[in-house]
Amino acid sequence: MLAVFAGSSLRLAVPLVLGATGELVSERAGVLNMSVEGMMLTGAFAGAVGSVASGSPMLGLLIGVVAVLPVALLQAFLSITLRANQVVTGIGINILVLGATTLAYREIFGGRSRTEVPGFDPWHPPGLADIPLFGDAVFTQVWLVYLALALVLIVAVVLRHTALGLALHAAGAEPKAVDQSGLSVTAVRYGAVLFAGMMSAIGGCFLSIGDIHTFTEGMTSGAGYLAIAAVIFGNWRVGRALLACLLFGTATALQFQLPALGIELPNALLIMLPYLMALLAVSGLVGRQTAPAHLNRPWSR
Amino acid sequence: MTCASITLARRERQAVLLSVAAVAVALLLGALLVAAIGVPLPDAIAAFADGAWGSPYAIAASINRSLVFALIGLGFVLANRANLTNVGGEGQIAIGGVAATAVCLIGGVARLPFGLAFIIPTLAACLAGGLWGGLVGWLKVRVGTNEVISSLMLSFIAVWLLYGSVQSEALLRQPMTTSSTLPESLEIPDPTKLPLLTGDAGMPLHVGLPLALLLAAAVALVLHRTVFGLRLRAVGLNPLAARRAGIAIAPSIVGVFFAAGALGGLAGAMMLQGEQYSLKAGFSSGYGFDGLVVGLLARGSVTGVLAGALLFGFMRSGGINMEMVAAVPSALVLVMQGVIIVTLAGAARWMDGPGGAR
Repeated sequence: MLAVFAGSSLRLAVPLVLGATGELVSERAGVLNMSVEGMMLTGAFAGAVGSVASGSPMLGLLIGVVAVLPVALLQAFLSITLRANQVVTGIGINILVLGATTLAYREIFGGRSRTEVPGFDPWHPPGLADIPLFGDAVFTQVWLVYLALALVLIVAVVLRHTALGLALHAAGAEPKAVDQSGLSVTAVRYGAVLFAGMMSAIGGCFLSIGDIHTFTEGMTSGAGYLAIAAVIFGNWRVGRALLACLLFGTATALQFQLPALGIELPNALLIMLPYLMALLAVSGLVGRQTAPAHLNRPWSR
Repeated sequence: MTCASITLARRERQAVLLSVAAVAVALLLGALLVAAIGVPLPDAIAAFADGAWGSPYAIAASINRSLVFALIGLGFVLANRANLTNVGGEGQIAIGGVAATAVCLIGGVARLPFGLAFIIPTLAACLAGGLWGGLVGWLKVRVGTNEVISSLMLSFIAVWLLYGSVQSEALLRQPMTTSSTLPESLEIPDPTKLPLLTGDAGMPLHVGLPLALLLAAAVALVLHRTVFGLRLRAVGLNPLAARRAGIAIAPSIVGVFFAAGALGGLAGAMMLQGEQYSLKAGFSSGYGFDGLVVGLLARGSVTGVLAGALLFGFMRSGGINMEMVAAVPSALVLVMQGVIIVTLAGAARWMDGPGGAR
């Protein structure tokens, strides 16, 4: 029982982990990318369509990641090149994507059908899944789960130990210094937003072709905003953001688990919890928060 | 007329032209998409027009929607004058709706004389929304929390608070008589509903309309003709200089967020007491975000807020009817709205000109 719960918490956290890690890179570079939601939805949709069209979820995943690039480029162009208000471009893109995917879905699949799409099957990692009692319930997951965790690790290492990480960090903290060192703030930020897009798209693909093998209209239903909350709660650090996602995933899993245990707790409270925790975190009630100094501030020389 | 104001007037005209162009492009795109879906264009347009302004009822419904967008937009413009971004409209609507419902349903309120029966709940909604918004300002001055982040989080919290309050009988949910009792509040008593202007339920324009127009005028006045407006501007342009000049920054910031929140709470009260009459989950329906966009696209102009609010209000109504009558998904309107937002947000810098206020 507990093992199943842990397994589903992990599964529910994965889209958040992917979205949040991408968002973290983008925010570190100074772009408050509010379009994670739209990027995830794009990935979920294109992944599902690609998977149906090609019959291969692997190609679907690839198509999902490629399809997000125009969306990410639009976000980057508006917020970096045109220096538009980052919050509004994000909301605009989210509305646009929600409308476009809903429209296209109905055109392609018709009505409100829930066509089954070819998806990934769970994978039994040898060793881990063989652990008695809980191994199978916790670790038998779609391989994307392990990809997500690996990507988080890579991002953590890159941010901490490489010149690229330093450049990303500086683009959000002191863009002037980046500029004077001869690097292009614009290029660094474009890269960060594109990376956030691809990570979000993988998260979206996990929802549609990894987890439930179908696409539904607006299926991300706020996961993108939760990912942003996780970055904030995680104080713009990879490890803490990962923990925040796992925590949020657990809170979501609890919604399904508590009624089964006969515990009456308002659903709304559990759904609200992640946002409340994020708010408390930025209010300085849970340690000191240090947002990148130039977050949400367009750069111009 | 000085040289600067002539350029300003030209910029203003360009901005209006650009906005019109963006709307035209969105409409054209909408028409193309309708054709792509395979619905005859005249049918779709007829359904859109019918839903947006085809009957007195449709006109009133569109205008009532616009009122909500306008109030949120006004709050946004007010805070934006101090260079603050209020993303909290959605939550302020929700909190206003909860407060108005709760007060309307208190035993004695419906029996109050002199219109107090509807005024008191509305004021309660303003107060609740104001406090919810003021919290953002307070966090900003006390611990330096980024207002975008805190107001966004507070929005989600408020939306789920509302959801929770209509799910629980101990709070606002109507008494469960059968297992199919919907998770929503009781209908508010008649005296607490906003009086209709025409007295005819066929055209449900309510007192919120003149009130919103009055408030729009008041906001314009505050921004351009009062000391408070000037202070906000000073705080927005250069907080340090403003402080040196002896302006109390903290009260200005908390105050402007309180005002924006109160406008949001009022919007929630108008939706509840003027239109829906009972509180349901999903009450705020994204109007707070639409209103935020209206406020931003208006670029500080109160007239712009009103124009944008009307545009979005009529578009929403038309889109809903298009889905019901002509089988064109209302998602089409989302696409069009998205295109307008993205275009105008992208062009904002250019419209403000070099060294623009933002």
